[in-house]
Amino acid sequence: MVGAALLVGATVVILGACLLLVILVVAVRARRHSRNQRDEMLLSPLRPPLITVASGEDDDGAATEELTWATGVSRTVLDRNIVEMLTKIRGVPADQLVRVLEVHGAVDAAVADLTSRSTVRRARAAQLLGLAKAEHTVPLLVTALGDEAMEVRNSAAYALGLIGDPVAAGPVLAAIGAPERGLPAATAAEALQSMGVGISEVLRDGMGDPNARTRMVAAHLSGERSFTRGLPELRRLLDDDPDVTVRETSATAIGRLGRGEDVAILVRHTVDSEPLALRRACVIALGELGDPAAVPALATLLADADPRLAELAASALLTMGPDGSSALLGHEDDAAVRSARLMASLQRASA
Amino acid sequence: MSAPAGDPDASPVRVLVADDDADIRDLVEFKLTQAGYAVEAVPDGVSAWEAFEANPPQLAVLDVMMPGLSGIDVLRKIRESGHPSVPVLLLSAKSRDSDVDTGFAVGADDYVIKPFSPRELLHRVNGMLARAR
Repeated sequence: MVGAALLVGATVVILGACLLLVILVVAVRARRHSRNQRDEMLLSPLRPPLITVASGEDDDGAATEELTWATGVSRTVLDRNIVEMLTKIRGVPADQLVRVLEVHGAVDAAVADLTSRSTVRRARAAQLLGLAKAEHTVPLLVTALGDEAMEVRNSAAYALGLIGDPVAAGPVLAAIGAPERGLPAATAAEALQSMGVGISEVLRDGMGDPNARTRMVAAHLSGERSFTRGLPELRRLLDDDPDVTVRETSATAIGRLGRGEDVAILVRHTVDSEPLALRRACVIALGELGDPAAVPALATLLADADPRLAELAASALLTMGPDGSSALLGHEDDAAVRSARLMASLQRASA
Repeated sequence: MSAPAGDPDASPVRVLVADDDADIRDLVEFKLTQAGYAVEAVPDGVSAWEAFEANPPQLAVLDVMMPGLSGIDVLRKIRESGHPSVPVLLLSAKSRDSDVDTGFAVGADDYVIKPFSPRELLHRVNGMLARAR
């Protein structure tokens, strides 16, 4: 009897909770829908001048001026749409829209919002400052790289990348290894990519950083951007780094920008006492380098116990012209060579 | 901005614009219309293919990532349906080399990465049409 009453009670409580949840979801959706409708209504008269400016057709500045007149909630809604538009266009129209944001005080408000208690406001503020390319706020965004919230740190790095001032490269790279409040390596790399050639010295220094992820990003970007002055550091990392991922990344970077003398260095790390991932990275790098001096070492690796490594060696040889092709003679029926040839033909077909 | 070259009495060059982003759709339509083109703008890949089949344009600007049919799917259909010479420009936020390679491999004549300059887009459209004549 008591058990049945308990069952009924629990069922009623669960049903009640479900009902409350449904009501809550419906209410939130209705509120969002109503807010979207209000925003659309407020934006409606401003949409034509916004599109005129965004398309670069506001030759006399009349549409830009019309946008600057917006006030109150309309201004807030418009500014939100301008920020959204800035993620889609660049050039003179983007500069004109930034000018509207400045006149509205949105850039100054974003500076103030960087220290808001709300995480969302801080992250949005950093995004706006980046999209507005507000160079004078670089020091504030560098400070935001150490924010307690990951989304704010990410947003600040993104903004610094958009602004593109290489003065922020050091702090962005260092933020990867910040204890407790680190920046994801991919986010930092993306931001640094946007900072031009002025970051080469920062990357060289970064390859000596105590943090492995920082060294990895510095090595990766040195290869991506073809910063040949970083070659001595890349060779040192490949030889000595305690982290195998850093060594792999360095091998890949050397493959992109190395010289003839790097063949011997890469070959040295294809021996079977090295970690397999590093051996594979070095073989790929030898193929990228394309120096025929690597042919004898690659030919030996055709018989390696690791089938993937043998296939990579065959692929590398296929890229080395007559010298590489002659090294494959007698191995035509090897699974590694057949597989490499198939991959090469597929790549040619899709190119 | 310069109008498309040609006889001023001739009917305007028809351009199909497909993008699920209303901002981009509207501003590209406005930009090209101001330049003298007759633009049909649609919000997805299925509508783009239907519009193309119903009345093939002289040029198409296709977003790559659209619901239903992607811009790549629409481009493939255009190329397979006996319209190899209609210039197609792909407009996309996908900026990796492999994305661009795929676009050209399927038959795009040009590829513009977002965020983009509307002025540059117009120059590219003008150039593609001039070469197609």
